[in-house]
Amino acid sequence: MNELIAIFIGMVLINNFILVRFLGLCPYFGVSKKLGPAISMGIAVTFVMTIASIATWLIRNYILIPFDIEYMNIVIYILVIATLVQIIELFIKKTNMALYFAFGIYLPLITTNCAVLGITLINATKNYSFLGSVVAALGAGLGFTLVLAMMSGIREKLELANTPKAMKGLPIAFITATLLGLAFLGFGGMI
Amino acid sequence: MTIGILIAIGLVCGLIIYMVYIKVPQKVKGLKKTEELNAILPGMNCGACGYAGCFGYAQAVAKDPDLVLKTPCSLVLQDPERLERLEKALGVTLDASEMSKKALVHCTGNSEVICNYSGAQTCKAVTQLLRGYKKCPYACLGLNDCVEVCPQDAISIDPEKNVAVVDPEKCTGCGLCVPECPQDLIELVPAGTKIAFLCNYKPLKNIPGREKCDFGCIHCRKCFKACEDEAIEWNKETALPEFDREKCTLCLKCIEACEQNTLADFTKMGKEKEVELVSA
Repeated sequence: MNELIAIFIGMVLINNFILVRFLGLCPYFGVSKKLGPAISMGIAVTFVMTIASIATWLIRNYILIPFDIEYMNIVIYILVIATLVQIIELFIKKTNMALYFAFGIYLPLITTNCAVLGITLINATKNYSFLGSVVAALGAGLGFTLVLAMMSGIREKLELANTPKAMKGLPIAFITATLLGLAFLGFGGMI
Repeated sequence: MTIGILIAIGLVCGLIIYMVYIKVPQKVKGLKKTEELNAILPGMNCGACGYAGCFGYAQAVAKDPDLVLKTPCSLVLQDPERLERLEKALGVTLDASEMSKKALVHCTGNSEVICNYSGAQTCKAVTQLLRGYKKCPYACLGLNDCVEVCPQDAISIDPEKNVAVVDPEKCTGCGLCVPECPQDLIELVPAGTKIAFLCNYKPLKNIPGREKCDFGCIHCRKCFKACEDEAIEWNKETALPEFDREKCTLCLKCIEACEQNTLADFTKMGKEKEVELVSA
């Protein structure tokens, strides 16, 4: 239990996916202009990460390790994640149209999000147990959502601030990102 | 060996997608009707009907056709061709002139500017900091909050008076601007409105319309007395005129009688500039 809590906190704060590991940086700037879409994106990523972790753990432990082909893991993981997202999208489209429109473009976009591949590879290298990899994925997704929500909140306020003309928009967002990254540095070495 | 396993995994993945595609039943009912309705709707996803986009609205209407009478799509009401198609698809009749709404800004904007404001240029920021920067605390501030939200570009700021003006011809009555105004100046009025009342000054006690703004209502009842068609009723509680558009013949005598210029001809609003250009 203690180990799981350590994994969770480590994933949310200490080894935050965006600010410490630098994974999933495109949505960090791409979808952080408004709070609503940022949180939808975060929830969608958390969802896909968890499902992908479960699937890849099963494949790694029952196919890759017995046949001794772990070195092929990236290729297989990409295949599995792409398939999963496709299945989920098809399933949602057929059963719940409202949810399908709520996820919108984000679900297919996540297929190519490096954060999802990142969590599966981290699970593999750290050799987490089944429960451990699920908790790690949940924590990573939550950390991703947290940073995205923080960034979008700040950027909404920045729109109103009196920034110099040359710094308006993306430049000031980049500076904000570095400051946020520095702030998260403070969590380093907590566990 | 390795290649074999990879191919096997790939095939299995493909097969699973295929199975899901074939086996999972199409649970969304009435999709055909929904798609038919969706094609009629304007597809702007303004959200004014209260549903998540036009598709959500189409889904709800497909389930319960009576819904269209309660919350009609304001954009369809503007468009006779779409309206006819929707009526045909649902087998109902909709009275566009009764249901269609237009936004109206209840302010002439002539209140004097009393402080030099240079903070964040949005009405919301101003109202959080101060009670506006004009003499009248209810005045339109003209800082574009409503202009930016309008999907039809129907609202513009009159640069001379510093007031938002809605062009009824472009306005579709979606109501997105109503919650945007921190002064609560914008109201959706029926499209058939004839006389627009342009003041929102509420306190009655010291009747200071004249003091705050050269064009505010001073509750003099002149419009009430001028009306020959009994189309104006005087509401004693609010001390404001109420207009009956059924009886009004647009003789414009009330507008002439109003010394404060608080009243305007709604049917010609937003077109004053053009009129001026012609006369000049």
